[in-house]
Amino acid sequence: MFEPSNLLLAVPALPLLGALLCVAFGSVKELRKWAHVPAVLCAALSCAAALTVVSNIGEADVHFPQDRTGEPISWFSVATATTKLSADFGLEADQLSGIMLIGITFIGTWIVVFSIGYMHGSPGYPRFFAAVSLFLASMTLLVLADNFLLMFAGWEGVGLCSYLLVGYWHDKPSAAAAARKAFLVTRLGDVGLLLGSFLLWQMAGRNSFNYQFIFEKAAEMVNAHPYLFPAACLLVFSGAVGKSAQFPLYVWLPDAMEGPTPVSALIHAATMVTAGVYLLARCAALFTLCPAVQATVAVIGAFTAILAAYIALTQNDLKRVLAYSTVSQLGFMFLALGCAGPVVPSFAVTAAVFHLFTHAFFKAVLFLSAGSVMHAMHDEIDMRLFSGLRKKLPVTHLAFLCGAAALAGLPLLSGFWSKDMILESALEAGESKRFGTLYYLLFGVAITTAAMTAFYTFRAYFRTFWGPLKMPEGAHPHETWVMNIPLLVLAIGALAVGIVAEPFTHWFSHFLGHAKTLVQADAGRVAEHHLNWPLMIGSGAVALLGIGVAWAMYAGNSQSADNLAKNLKTPYYASLNKLYVDEIYNVLIVQPFLMIAGFCKLCEAIVYDLVRLVAMVPRFLADLIRPLQNGLVQFYALSMAMGLAAIVGYLVLVAK
Amino acid sequence: MFPIAATLERLTADLTRDLSLFIPELILCGTIPFLLLLRLLFSTKTIPLAPVALAAVGTALVFALRTDLPTHGGTVTFGGMLLIDRFGLSVRVALLAYLLLAIPLGVLTKIPDREDAADFFTLMIGATIGLMLMTSARHLLMVFIAVEMASVPSYALAGFLKGRRPSSEAALKYVVFGAAASGTMLYGISLVAGTFGTGDMEEIAGQISYSRTQISLSAFAGVLLIFGGILFKLSAVPFHFWCPDVFTGAAAEVGAFLSVASKAASLALAARLIYYLGGTGVSHTNALAVLWAIIAGVTMTWGNLAAFGQTNVKRMLAYSTIAHAGLMMMTLTVFDYRAVPPLVYYIASYLCMNLGAFAVVAFVRNQTGSEELDTFDGLAKRSPVLALSMTVFMLSLLGLPPLAGFAAKFQVFAHLFENAHRYQHGEIGVFSWLYTGLLALAAINTALSAGYYLGVVRRMFLDTGEEAKAPLSVPFGGRVILSVLVGGVIALGGWWNPLTEQGIMAAKSFQHKSAKQKRLEMSQEQ
Repeated sequence: MFEPSNLLLAVPALPLLGALLCVAFGSVKELRKWAHVPAVLCAALSCAAALTVVSNIGEADVHFPQDRTGEPISWFSVATATTKLSADFGLEADQLSGIMLIGITFIGTWIVVFSIGYMHGSPGYPRFFAAVSLFLASMTLLVLADNFLLMFAGWEGVGLCSYLLVGYWHDKPSAAAAARKAFLVTRLGDVGLLLGSFLLWQMAGRNSFNYQFIFEKAAEMVNAHPYLFPAACLLVFSGAVGKSAQFPLYVWLPDAMEGPTPVSALIHAATMVTAGVYLLARCAALFTLCPAVQATVAVIGAFTAILAAYIALTQNDLKRVLAYSTVSQLGFMFLALGCAGPVVPSFAVTAAVFHLFTHAFFKAVLFLSAGSVMHAMHDEIDMRLFSGLRKKLPVTHLAFLCGAAALAGLPLLSGFWSKDMILESALEAGESKRFGTLYYLLFGVAITTAAMTAFYTFRAYFRTFWGPLKMPEGAHPHETWVMNIPLLVLAIGALAVGIVAEPFTHWFSHFLGHAKTLVQADAGRVAEHHLNWPLMIGSGAVALLGIGVAWAMYAGNSQSADNLAKNLKTPYYASLNKLYVDEIYNVLIVQPFLMIAGFCKLCEAIVYDLVRLVAMVPRFLADLIRPLQNGLVQFYALSMAMGLAAIVGYLVLVAK
Repeated sequence: MFPIAATLERLTADLTRDLSLFIPELILCGTIPFLLLLRLLFSTKTIPLAPVALAAVGTALVFALRTDLPTHGGTVTFGGMLLIDRFGLSVRVALLAYLLLAIPLGVLTKIPDREDAADFFTLMIGATIGLMLMTSARHLLMVFIAVEMASVPSYALAGFLKGRRPSSEAALKYVVFGAAASGTMLYGISLVAGTFGTGDMEEIAGQISYSRTQISLSAFAGVLLIFGGILFKLSAVPFHFWCPDVFTGAAAEVGAFLSVASKAASLALAARLIYYLGGTGVSHTNALAVLWAIIAGVTMTWGNLAAFGQTNVKRMLAYSTIAHAGLMMMTLTVFDYRAVPPLVYYIASYLCMNLGAFAVVAFVRNQTGSEELDTFDGLAKRSPVLALSMTVFMLSLLGLPPLAGFAAKFQVFAHLFENAHRYQHGEIGVFSWLYTGLLALAAINTALSAGYYLGVVRRMFLDTGEEAKAPLSVPFGGRVILSVLVGGVIALGGWWNPLTEQGIMAAKSFQHKSAKQKRLEMSQEQ
């Protein structure tokens, strides 16, 4: 049992068990309000298992099934004469998935605990915990899978759970619509991912979906298929674009805030949306071979980062600010991933994954604090309706401040270190020969975005917690320990996890740098770790500048913000209305599709009538044979005897 | 044919080993008098019989699972009467697992009341012993005895709802037909045994293959008559007429038993016969293959067409059973060991989905007293549990992924497709056409069957009926059984390999034999 490989199986299996138990609890009336117990227990045990596994990774990876030489556990296999399509159920924990596991299970556990208080008394209480547990199971499966197909199973699993949870309040039309949008938009990317995986499988010799197997053939493939291989990488990237809410598929994430806030914290900030980052980090060995694809990744990342930051500047809904900031931060991670190649891959990818890791902590704490505000403000989240809450909600205030400072990149906090690594990657990539100027430009975009980030984060903070006390009607501000403890734990994480893990010890990058995919991507190059003082001072100054502007505009009761909005009408309304992207999509994509759908409906009406005509045939035949079943034993016996005679006669006379 | 001193000696020498392989059947045999005695000696109020029966079946299942067998071929036991191999074992395990689920279902739906519980269990267990013997029979006499052992309790089960006219009518029709079929079969057996002087099937096969290409007409007619008896048990056209009438009259639980268990065992028996015959390599077997394919195709189509427009659920399911029997027969149109994995998979999947469908019918009947299709109108509102599980079973019977029915159907289709491919360039190219045609027919049939399977789903979810009806409750145990079956259907649909591997293991028991057969043929040529 204490074999690491068995524990590895326990990591996804325990939350799955928890989900089943939640459903079981939900079907018994007396147990319904205790439905959180299995979810919390299984999440915590899974976290313990994950930590044990990670501590065992060390030199060698942990596999399930344990013996690599033996037969893998087959999930399904279809063999024809020429090819064998087989999917194995294999789990593998290396340094990369280990770090993901810690983030998912640790933060997940605390968010489940927080939900006990937040979801208290809502209808469908067991349904929530069942879906969250199922999500944890799928997400851990996603990062532990050792092949593309099993990963895709987890990928779709988290998509399903996201759908279920965004649409948790399915009576609300906006929630149902948001759930549908999230599902459909990410599906666009998923199709690309599936196509990409199969392309890779085909190019690698149609043998196996195993990561290691495909990565080892990467160099061969890129020589044999100079165009198809980058295409496959782009397709895989499109999956990441959908799941990680990058331009142009980011539109679902802000709407997904219709779900319960703990869900926004867990799925739409800390874990699921980082799946795309994980995927690209995992496939670093493939992506570094295509510089053009990498430049695309970096451009899309940087563009998304600044676009989302610009929209976030003026949003009035607290959760939407955080949602756009998530999109923007994910853009940062993709920018870093896109620098792998020009920069030593293990350095750039480490920057992305490190930012993913710290972001998970501070974004989770921000969302949970927003949830706590929402809980206290009677489900109201519009920042125009409340202000000055720092006295009423002291713990929430403290937690939000920690998260906001980390997100803004205040020096020495975790967000600062990770963002600094990303900026450094972009700067270093600027020195490369190909696309060098482009990367310099992207660095400029990134540093601008960093300033905007600091501004909008603290704008939200000052508007919510400072100024005169104002509350919507029906609000009764309160905090409970079951919500406070997770807030504080995660807040400490948001403050400290960065400085502990990386800047002086380089523990994080050394640990992650041993991951096989990165070693392969590095191809012998060695990442240099040094502290780039000018850059650090610069980015620190930019963050302080953003915070200062926010303080000047929103901390007091000044009118400067309104005046500024009046003077800069066009940019202000462009940002407030989210750059009209949804409207543009509506005209360019949704309306034409509706027209096609209308045409299809017309065609269908015709086909439908045709089909009905065809469907008459079996009915008609049935009416022909039904009278034969007339209930008369004599007739039955006769037909049986005749049948037998016919059979014997056929063989004796005809077939002889 | 008759035991001689040498046979008797062999019999006694291996008796211990043979009995140890036969333990599951022995346990069941012991349970029957034990149950009857319990009822005689104690008041049934103090001793519940169902747990005793369940415990016995469970023990038998454990012993069956622990049976130690060679990987290739099997063990010939009881002086050549039975052949215990992995193929037979996998069907026996399926039968016992079925019984393990069917007994609690009977208790929950209260078909046997306190008085006749012992009778019900005894009949079920007795019939199962017969079915288990059918799967391992190696001697024609054993075949006949096994078929009779399985049939006679089935007749009684069909008429178990005493005092209901349709039930008695069903039983009577079943008996009349069964008797005719048994007579046919016995006639065939006597023809065959008379020609070859033995009832040992392997020996008969050896003699036939020794004669190379020809087999006497009377013997071949005898073989056909034996198949006639099996086709009756399989309810293949034109021996199927009993099936809808009997299913309509008998209780749903009995219908489930007749449709699943007896089909499984009959298919196992048919596979064995066809295998022995196919190994001989005489030209007649090709004609038989064509005939078998035609019967399979007609049976499938007939069942699906007739299921349209039925108003009674059990009658509809009876026709669906006929159609599925045709589909399963399709696997056996090819005489080789590759047919075994799809067949085993189909039997296991069919066990889950059809028992599930009949169970839902039984639960609905218990509360509404009706088995008409209208009762299912708006079931989703009255009992979401029943409606959802029925949907799963219907979709699985139809063969939609990711359910067991799809996995099973896919494997059957793939098997046929491969064979069509293989025969394309062989000597008998006509087989390629035959299999392709059968495949196309099966595809059309699947589309046809959507009409009535989805019809049930539509009734449950879309047709609400006019007046609001009272909600239906399902007992806790019923929920457990339904979840086990739904879980089975989903698991078999999602995770193929464990069972496919069992099927491949089971197929090995035939592979070995075919090698032996080849040696025999080679020795003749030399």
